[in-house]
Amino acid sequence: MSLEAVARKDFRDAVRSRWVLVLSALFVVLFAGPALFRFTLGIGLGEGAEATGIALLFIQLMKEGTAVLVPIIAIVVGYASITRERESGTLKLLLSLPHSRADVVVGKVLGRSAVIALPIAVGFLAAGLVLIPASSGFALASFLAFGFLTMLLGVVFVGLAVGISAAARSDREAMVGSVGAFVLFQVFWGTATSRIAGGLQEYAGLTAQNRYLVELGAKLLNPIAAYKTLADSLVFESQMQARQQLFGFFLFPDPAAQEALGQELPVVFTDPFVAALMVLWFVVPVYVGMVLFERADL
Amino acid sequence: MSAIELSGVTKRFGDVTAVNDLDLTVEEGEVFGFLGPNGAGKSTTINMILDFVRPTAGEVRVLDRDAQAESVAIRRRIGVLPEGFSVYERLTGRQHVEFAIESKELDVDPDPVLDRVGLLDDADRKAGGYSKGMAQRLALAMALVGEPELLILDEPSSGLDPAGAKEMREIVREEADRGATVFFSSHVLGQVEAVCDRVGILRAGELVAEDSIEGLRETVGSGETLRVSVDGASEEDLAAVRALEGVRGAATDGTTVTVDCESGAKTAVIGALEDAGVTVTDFTTTEASLEDLFLAYTEGAAPGDNGTGEHDSPAAGEVAE
Repeated sequence: MSLEAVARKDFRDAVRSRWVLVLSALFVVLFAGPALFRFTLGIGLGEGAEATGIALLFIQLMKEGTAVLVPIIAIVVGYASITRERESGTLKLLLSLPHSRADVVVGKVLGRSAVIALPIAVGFLAAGLVLIPASSGFALASFLAFGFLTMLLGVVFVGLAVGISAAARSDREAMVGSVGAFVLFQVFWGTATSRIAGGLQEYAGLTAQNRYLVELGAKLLNPIAAYKTLADSLVFESQMQARQQLFGFFLFPDPAAQEALGQELPVVFTDPFVAALMVLWFVVPVYVGMVLFERADL
Repeated sequence: MSAIELSGVTKRFGDVTAVNDLDLTVEEGEVFGFLGPNGAGKSTTINMILDFVRPTAGEVRVLDRDAQAESVAIRRRIGVLPEGFSVYERLTGRQHVEFAIESKELDVDPDPVLDRVGLLDDADRKAGGYSKGMAQRLALAMALVGEPELLILDEPSSGLDPAGAKEMREIVREEADRGATVFFSSHVLGQVEAVCDRVGILRAGELVAEDSIEGLRETVGSGETLRVSVDGASEEDLAAVRALEGVRGAATDGTTVTVDCESGAKTAVIGALEDAGVTVTDFTTTEASLEDLFLAYTEGAAPGDNGTGEHDSPAAGEVAE
């Protein structure tokens, strides 16, 4: 099948370029490293409840790192996937063969998704091996779910980056687009949403509860925030507590938000919806990129 | 069924018209040379046939299918050597051909085509280290995979040395003998003359000639160029020569009279000069070459106006990019 041929070729090329190897090593060090460090210091993970607590704390802390690192790596892996072939002329060789442009885009998405997902899986496997002996079943299940969630984050950003690459005419354009999206999500989104929601409360007479609901909804549109709050759902007792982590600073929730949001989480802000929003950041850019790429003169 | 059919095809890039209202038909089984100087619109035309770019107006059909809507189905049945491509640096030559085989959903051995293009010995090297000529051979090997019905080769000889260009022509011949249609572009007539059944000449986005090599030769004329060495001839002396039947043009630089005429008119030309009081000391004749015609078409002058041109230039050899 054409799609498969493109995806396989793309992935093999990444293997040959040692990307997969380097990323795997990086994720092993990153994920298993902290746990191993405890062992080398002779502290160990402790037993039972203590080990479970450590595994959960591990998720909570690690997500702060992965939420930055994984999107950046995914963008590096994906941003030039189409434009580089277009600029160098290998795309002409590729499209001289019976591949549709849609197959090229989707094939790239699959190939590059594997390039990021596989190393993440390897990293988590290594970390899991370190954590398994001591932890409870609950902690391990959470840890496994966190691994999949992190893979999803990587794949979402690969889709975003490949979609932008398909729509762009040059490497430069693709780079600006992808990095711009990342900066938007990472730096501006949070501040912008609280400003807007705050403004609505102040000038449009929104109740405090509605203001925070609007703000929560807006925050969840950001795939990085969606990832973080889904990771928190694995750690905290309720999804509401997980969502409240989006307000305030690091581990200290904003009391105003806590009070306004109460205990009842609207169904649209529950995990499945948040996950679906995250997936939209994969589907929409890939689709739009594909449509624009189909129309382009190469 | 025609292999390629363009009707009323126009392509504009912004306000630049690359191809203007082009009609072109390539019949099944023929070898068609698509000629024209660089920048004439050859690659744009081929890119429209391959659906790399879309026509602003008009219709392109390949193997009786719509070039745009059914591009993948078309590419399953054709072999393409594109222009301005590059190879995958990390893949070996053989892996490239294997990828072409996989893409065409075939199950054949890559070695025979690699052998045909002379790359078998280098097949396990990474293509990133290939020369331009080797990359060109590799792309040809990929195009040959699966015995396509139609081969589209965009400037196939670019980057090849004369020996390589000759091998390229031989492969084109072999493919035609197998029954394939071959459509290839070139800006050098010499590569085309020997292998083409028909040629089309494109200039500034328009087809200025479309004919068989024989037909073109007839257009050039059974014609000859006659060079007459004289003691002295003025423009007035040429009036009688120009008036002769079969003479297309005549010029003089004082001591040499150059006449473009049909071969039967030679004696009459010499006679007319002598009647005008010019002493003829010697004369030579040169058969008009296709190259002259090609240059005439592509450099602006209309055919027939080349009566005073230099007619002794050999067909240009292979030109590397």
